[in-house]
Amino acid sequence: MISTVYAVLFYLATILLVVGVGMRVWKYATTPVPLNIVVSPAPRTKRGVVFRMFREVIFFESLFKSNKWIWIFAYLFHWGMLIVLLRHLRYFTLNTWWWVEIISPIGRLMAFAMLAGLLGLWARRVLQERIRYISNPSDHLMLALLVGIAASGALMSYVTHTDIIMVKAYMLGLLRFRIGDMPTDPILMVHLGLVALLMIIFPISKLLHVPGVFFAPSRTLVDNAREKRRVSKWARNLPPLPEGIPANEEA
Amino acid sequence: MRKLLVSVLMLAALLASPGFAEGLLPDIPKAMGEPHPEGNEWWRVNHPALLMHSRDQTVIEGIRDVDASIKTCVACHAVEGPDAAPVTYESPKHICRACHDYVAVKIDCFQCHNSRPEEADWAAVLPSLGGTPESLRAYLERISQ
Repeated sequence: MISTVYAVLFYLATILLVVGVGMRVWKYATTPVPLNIVVSPAPRTKRGVVFRMFREVIFFESLFKSNKWIWIFAYLFHWGMLIVLLRHLRYFTLNTWWWVEIISPIGRLMAFAMLAGLLGLWARRVLQERIRYISNPSDHLMLALLVGIAASGALMSYVTHTDIIMVKAYMLGLLRFRIGDMPTDPILMVHLGLVALLMIIFPISKLLHVPGVFFAPSRTLVDNAREKRRVSKWARNLPPLPEGIPANEEA
Repeated sequence: MRKLLVSVLMLAALLASPGFAEGLLPDIPKAMGEPHPEGNEWWRVNHPALLMHSRDQTVIEGIRDVDASIKTCVACHAVEGPDAAPVTYESPKHICRACHDYVAVKIDCFQCHNSRPEEADWAAVLPSLGGTPESLRAYLERISQ
């Protein structure tokens, strides 16, 4: 019974995540950018922009330049989460990939990097008055949700284990549309429930910065306003100018 | 939304089948001897803690006469290889590796410990060499003294 409830929950959450993020990305991609609003100093070639985005995504460059403390905690959290997530691939592949096996021991420790980063970011929202003032409930709740996921996961790794053989069989079954039995340890149920919740609210949350960073015109545009005139789509279809007004503004 | 929920529920009911685990679980070799009274599920979850506990008793507290040791584990759970000998940890068929490979968990027990009984005792633990539950029990009693 519980296994079926969780299976339905995960199928629903997956649909909402994929469709929801897809709709958001479509919206981002089709939103008009009438002006070149890139933040300078910015690269003046396409290749330069790709390199800048690479630095932004891998090193969080703009955050590093603006605030070292946030950068440290954000970096700990994001990279910890990435390695922890990659480690979880062992539950979704019948024959675990060799590189997942290699990072597995590191991934086990990375739960603490995740937690340290999250708690640091949270402490900032609570202890720094200026930040506390501008923090919305959703800012705190997102952090609470992520702390809950990381803490319940670390608990299963370090304190009270669950039957991961059956967890893996259950997950492999879900991927093949076959619903089996999952262990009903409370911590596992909390962990999976919170993950499903995260998947569901992802497309309506601030976590949309994940796809969003690739659609930020202040970063993804080329600084070539002098070389190339940017004409938005609607401006291309304007009726011809009345007689007497010079058409060429490039004087 | 309700339609979606109903259809997903119906789909789930359709998918819930008893034969789900076919091919999805590791091939866990059967052990000779009597099953653990605590049940397999309990052992799957708790054997690391027990091994660590035994290790602490032996290494830190110096208590040598613990009931269970790795020696007894690998006796009942000996898996016969193609050469009429119990496989070592080198083989993916070894009882520990059956599951540990499946979930990519590395263990270092057998860097020091023997992963199978001594050659003189193979006959007691392998059915094909004449091993029976009785010979196994006799062997276990001998090594636990």
